[in-house]
Amino acid sequence: MKTAAHHADHGLAHTVEHLAHLLPAQGPIGVFIHHNTLHAFQHLPFDEAVQEAARLYGNEPYMTEAAYRRDFDRGRITAEDLDVVLGWEPDAEIVPFLLDRRALRRAVLLAPPALDDAAEISWWLAEGGVAPQRRHLFETCRRLFTVPQSADRNEADGPATPAAVRAVVDPLIIRLCGAFLDQGVAYWPMPDRQLGFLAAVRSLFETTRMVEPLPGLAAEMARQRRHQWTAIQTVEEMLRRLDIDVARQEQFLRQELLALGGWAGMFYRLQEEPYLAPHERVPCSLMEYLAVRLTLVAFAPRTSSAEVGQPEAMAERTALVNTTALFTAAEALGYGVADLEAFSRENRERFCREVLSFHPVERRRVWHIAYEYHHERDVLRPIAERLRGNRRRPVSGTPKAQVFFCIDEREESIRRHLEELDPQVETLGAAGFFGVAMDYAGIDDPHGVSLCPVVVKPQHAIREQPVAEHADLHERRRALRRLWSQFAQGAVKSSRTLWLGWISTAILGLFSMFPLLIRILAPRRYGQLMARLNDLFLPEPRTEVTLMRNDEHGHHLNEGLVLGFTVAEKVERVASVLAPAGLRTRFSRLVVVLGHGSTSLNNPHESAHDCGACGGRRGGPNARLFAAMANHPEVRLALRDRGIMIPADTWFVGGYHDTSSDEIDLYDLEAMPRAHDAELAELRATLDRARAANAHERARRFESADGAAGPKQGLEHVEGVWPLHQRRLRCRPARTDARAVSRPPLLSGVLRPWRRYARPVPDAPDVGRGAGLRGHQPGILLLLCGQPTLWLRHQAAAQHHGPGGRDGRPFQRSPHRTAVADGGDS
Amino acid sequence: MNGSFMSGDPMSTVLFLTVALPGAGFLLLALSWLAGWEPPEKLVARVTGLIYTVAALCVLTGAWLMHAAQLPSLHADYGDWFRVGDYAFKFELYFDGVSLPLLGLTTVLTGLVAAFSRTYMHREPGFLRFFVLLHLFGFGATLGFAAGSFDLLVGGWELVGLSSVLLISYFFERPGPVTNALRVFATYRSADVGLLVGIFALHHFRHSAALPALDAHTLDPNQATIVGLLLLLAAMGKAAQIPFSGWLPRAMEGPTPSSAIFYGAISVHLGAYLLLRARPLLESSPVALGAVALVGLATALHGVFVGRVCPDAKTSLAYAAVTQLGLIFFEIAMGWTTLALLHILGHSTIRTLQFLRAPSMLHEYHRIHAASGGQVEAGGLSIEGILPFGLRRRLYWFAVDRAHLDRLLDSVAVRPLARLSAWLVRVEEQLTGGPAPAARAVVSAQSASPSAAAREEVDVLHD
Repeated sequence: MKTAAHHADHGLAHTVEHLAHLLPAQGPIGVFIHHNTLHAFQHLPFDEAVQEAARLYGNEPYMTEAAYRRDFDRGRITAEDLDVVLGWEPDAEIVPFLLDRRALRRAVLLAPPALDDAAEISWWLAEGGVAPQRRHLFETCRRLFTVPQSADRNEADGPATPAAVRAVVDPLIIRLCGAFLDQGVAYWPMPDRQLGFLAAVRSLFETTRMVEPLPGLAAEMARQRRHQWTAIQTVEEMLRRLDIDVARQEQFLRQELLALGGWAGMFYRLQEEPYLAPHERVPCSLMEYLAVRLTLVAFAPRTSSAEVGQPEAMAERTALVNTTALFTAAEALGYGVADLEAFSRENRERFCREVLSFHPVERRRVWHIAYEYHHERDVLRPIAERLRGNRRRPVSGTPKAQVFFCIDEREESIRRHLEELDPQVETLGAAGFFGVAMDYAGIDDPHGVSLCPVVVKPQHAIREQPVAEHADLHERRRALRRLWSQFAQGAVKSSRTLWLGWISTAILGLFSMFPLLIRILAPRRYGQLMARLNDLFLPEPRTEVTLMRNDEHGHHLNEGLVLGFTVAEKVERVASVLAPAGLRTRFSRLVVVLGHGSTSLNNPHESAHDCGACGGRRGGPNARLFAAMANHPEVRLALRDRGIMIPADTWFVGGYHDTSSDEIDLYDLEAMPRAHDAELAELRATLDRARAANAHERARRFESADGAAGPKQGLEHVEGVWPLHQRRLRCRPARTDARAVSRPPLLSGVLRPWRRYARPVPDAPDVGRGAGLRGHQPGILLLLCGQPTLWLRHQAAAQHHGPGGRDGRPFQRSPHRTAVADGGDS
Repeated sequence: MNGSFMSGDPMSTVLFLTVALPGAGFLLLALSWLAGWEPPEKLVARVTGLIYTVAALCVLTGAWLMHAAQLPSLHADYGDWFRVGDYAFKFELYFDGVSLPLLGLTTVLTGLVAAFSRTYMHREPGFLRFFVLLHLFGFGATLGFAAGSFDLLVGGWELVGLSSVLLISYFFERPGPVTNALRVFATYRSADVGLLVGIFALHHFRHSAALPALDAHTLDPNQATIVGLLLLLAAMGKAAQIPFSGWLPRAMEGPTPSSAIFYGAISVHLGAYLLLRARPLLESSPVALGAVALVGLATALHGVFVGRVCPDAKTSLAYAAVTQLGLIFFEIAMGWTTLALLHILGHSTIRTLQFLRAPSMLHEYHRIHAASGGQVEAGGLSIEGILPFGLRRRLYWFAVDRAHLDRLLDSVAVRPLARLSAWLVRVEEQLTGGPAPAARAVVSAQSASPSAAAREEVDVLHD
C-alpha cells in the first residue's frame, strides 16, 4: 500500500515538474531581461513548435492573414515566393486533369480571405447585399458538400474547468498570491507566510466564524490541517474529489497551471531560485500553489446552467464556417454552379477535404515561409555571395585608439558614428560583462548583486570602497543618505495612515503642488536641480575596488564567495575578451572599455533595458574592473604566455555609456599615466561628438524632438532628463532590417548601414547552425543578449548552406526566433 | 453682501469662461473626431494646454475682481435653458469661497494631467479619445463646482461619472476593464438615484434647488433628514464610501493619468463638495449629520485596514484616498467646513502627484532601500498588534477581502436584481410570446458583473 502511494506521489511530482516547463521562466521584474515564450518547445521544428504552443497557451502561431496580405501588397511577399514554397511541399491531384493541390492553394492564398466567424457570415448573408449569383453559388456549396460539423481542434483537451468556476477562483487566488509573494509594499504582511503558501492559506481560512470566500472552505482547510496533508497529498485528494482519473490528470493539471501561468511560473521560479526575490524570501513551492488552487477549484460553486451554448448551435456555426471556406475556394478558382455540379461524388468529397485541410493556420504557415524565403532571396543570399569573394582580408596598422562596446544593438549606432567621425578609432564588441562575472556592491549599494549573465552564478565578490583620504566624506554621505531614506519612507507612509495622513494631506498636501508643477512642466529643470543638490550635499568620494587577491584562499564572504580575483583568474578573464576580439598585438596607446545601461524613472521594466549580459543591470563596474585587470603589470606579463602582447605604453580605461541619455563616464582617470592625457582629451572630444551624433540620430525619430535640428539639440533632447511621464524609454535603437555575425571586414562595403555591431566570431571554421557558437562562451552570450536567433540564423545561412541552401529550403529553421525575419525596428 | 448679476459684466463673463472653455475643447475635439479628422497629437496637446491655462487664469482673475469689489460671493444668471409652466431651468452659476478654490484646483490639475498625458499617452491608439474624455471631464467638473443650483450640478455630476466610466474602459479590447467599468457604472447609477430623488424632494418641499437660498430654516427637520440622507447616498457613491468603496480599486483599470485626476483628485471629492453645499440643510437634521459622521469614520477605518494589506501600488493608493475621504466626510459632519475644504485641496494635490508617480514606485522603493543601507523594515503591526492571534488573522482576511463589501453588495443587490430582471424577461416573453433580446442583454450584463467581479488585480499593475 505504502509503496503504491509512494509511486503515485512520485508520478504526480514528476508530472508537475514536467508541466512546470510550460510556465513562463522569467524571474521578478528586477532581473527581467527578456522572455522567450517558446522556451518549452525548442526541441520541435519551428512550425510544430509555434502551433503546439498556440494550442496550449491559446495564442496565435503566426501573424494574421491580414498582416501577411499587407506585406504582400507592399511587395515583401510575391506570388512567385508563394509558388516556390508551394513547390517544396508534396503535390496531389484533387480532381483528375482539372485541379491539383498547388493550384488550389495558390488560388486560395491569392484570393480575398474567407470569412471565418459564424456571426459575421450570418450578417453577410442577411445584410451584406450579396449578388444573386454569388448567393446561388453559396447555396450550391451548402447543398453539394457535406461538411464536418465539429471543430476537432481542441477536442483532445477535454472539458476545461468551467469559466464560472475560474471567475470565482482566479481573483481569489490572485489576491492570495499577491499577499504571499509581496515584496514589502503591503505594510501588514500575510500572517504565517514564512511557513509556505499552503500553510499560510490554511491558517487564514481554517478559522470558523469568518466570511468564507467559498462555502465549505473553512471546514476543508481545518480538515487538511488536522490530517497534516503535504502539498502533494492535498493535490491527490483534490483530484479525487474533482473526479479526475489518472488518464486525464496531466491535461487537467496543465490547464490549472496555465490558467494563471504568470503566478504559477513565479512560484516555480522562486522555488528553484529563491535568491531572485529582491527583498523578502518566502518559501515558494509550485506544488503548494497547485494544492491551494485545486482546493479552491474543488470548493467553488458549480452553476448548473449550460456554459457556452447548445452543441447543435455549435455544429451549425462550424458548418457555416466550413461552407464559406468551400464557397470562397470555389470562387477563387473561378468555378460556377455548373462546374461544381459536374463533380463526381468522389471528387466532391476530395475537394471538400482538401479545402478544409488548408485551414487558416495552414495558410498562415505557407505565408510565413514565403515571407522568409523572400527575405533570404533579397537579403541573405547577396550577402553570402559577397562573403565568398571576400574572405580574410588582413587587418593592418595600429589605430589611434580602440573602444570596446557591448554587443547590444543599442550600441551599434554610436559605434558607427565614432568610426565615421574618426576612422583612426577602432571599435570592438564584447558581451557587456567583459568576462568579469562578479557579485558587486558599489559604495551606495546595501548588498552585492550579480553582474553577469543570469545563467552564471558568480564566484567572486567585488566591493567598491572609498579611498583612504575620502573615508570621512563617505561616512558623511552615508549618514545623509540614511537620513534622506528615513524622510522618504516617512513621506511614503504618512499620507497613507489615519492620523499622520490627516495632518499631512490636509495641512501639507497643498505643498506638493510645487514638485507637481516643476516635474511635469519643467522636467529638465527638475533634473538639473536635483543633480545640483546632489553635488552640493552628497559629493561622491573617490573610490577603488577590492580587486586584489594574491593568495588562493582569500577572504570568504557569506554565500561562499571569494573576495577579488587572483592573477591567474584575472589573466583568464582578460584573455577571454581580447583573444576573441582578435586583439593580440596591435594595441593602441589607449583602449577604452565601455559598459552600458539605461536610465528611466517611470518604467518598472527598467532592467530589461540595462545590459542583458550583466543580468539586467548596468555594466559600468565590469568595464572598470576589466580595465584595472588589463592594466595590472603581472597580468600583462602572464598574458604574454598566451600570445597577447600588451605594450607597456597601452592604457586601459573603463567607462559607462548610458544608452538613454547618451552620457559617457570614464573611470579612474587619476591612475592613468599623464603621458596619455593628450590622447585621452582627443578621444574624449571624439566620443562627445559621437554621442551627440548618436543622440541626434535617435532624436530624429522622436516626435517630441521636433526633428531635432542638429547634434547639439539631439543631445539636449535625451541628456539628463528623466521626466516622470516618459513611460517608453528613449532607447530606440537604430533601425535594423537584418543582422549578420561575421568577422568585421567581411561585411564592410556590402551595404552602408550594415556596419558591424556583433562581436567578431572566433576564427574556427566550424561556425554554422549555431553549433560552433553554442560551445563557446560567446555562443551562450549571443543567446542571452537579445535577438540571438537572428544572428545564429544568418550565420547559418551565410556560412553553412551558402546561397540556395542545401535542400532548396531557406535555412535551418530555428524554433526560438522572432516571428518575422525582416522585422523593422526591434 | 451677496452680489446678484445678470450676464454681461466682466466678472461673470470671466467666470463663465472657466466652465465654457473645457466645454469648447470637448466640442472642438469631439466634432473633429466625428468628422473623421484626427488632429495630430501636438495640436491636441497645444489646444488643451491653452484651454486650461486660460481657464485657470480666468478663475484667478474672477477671484481677484470679486475680491476687489468686496463680494464674498457672486450669483450669475445667464438666462433660462427651458421653461415648463412655473418651473424654469436656469443656467445660473455661483461663485464663492468654496467653489472658487475648487475651480482653480480643477483647472490647474486637469491642465497638469493633460501635460503629463501628452507624453504618457504618446502614440497610444486612443490618444484622441483620451483627450476628448479629459475635456468632457473638465467641463463636467467645472460645471459641477460652479453650478448655482442642484439642477445644474446634476449635469456636471453625470458628465464626470460618464467620462470616468468611459476612461475606466479605455482599454476596451480586454474584458477586465469593460467588466469593471460596468460595475462602476452600476454603482454610480444606483447612488445617483439619491441625488435625483433628493433634488425632486427639494423642489417638492421648497420649490427651488438654488444653492444661495439654501439655509437651515427653509425645511423642517424631517424634510431636511429625507433630503440630507438622499444627498448623502449620492455623495457616498461618488466618494467611494462604505459600502460602495469596492469600485475604487476596480477603477484603476484606466490609464494612470486618468486614475490620478479622477480617483486621486477631482471626481471623488465631488461627493464631499455636494455635502459641503448641502451643509446648511444638514444642520437642521441631527440624523443626517450623524449618518454623515458615521459613514465617514467607518470608511476611514476601513480604508486604513484594507490599504495596509494591499500589495500593489495603485490599490494601496486608492484605499489611502478612501481613508482621507472618510475623514473629510467626518469634518463636514462636525461643521469644520474650512478644514474640509483645505483637506480636499491638499489631498487632491498630493494624491495626483502620488498616482502619477505610481509606475516608478519600484524604482523609488529600491532607492530608499539602498540609501537606508538595506534596513527598511518590511512593515509591522501597530494597532492590530494588540489583538489575539486568531482575531488578527480574521482581521487580515477581512482586510484582504476588502471588508467583504463586494460580497455583500453581490448578495444583497446584484444577484436579487439579476433574478428580478430574469423574471421580468420571462414575464415579458410570456406576454409577448417571443424572446426579448434587449432585456436578455441586460440580464447577461447583470450576471456577468458579480462573477467576473474582482479581476482588477490582474490588470492593475498594467499601468
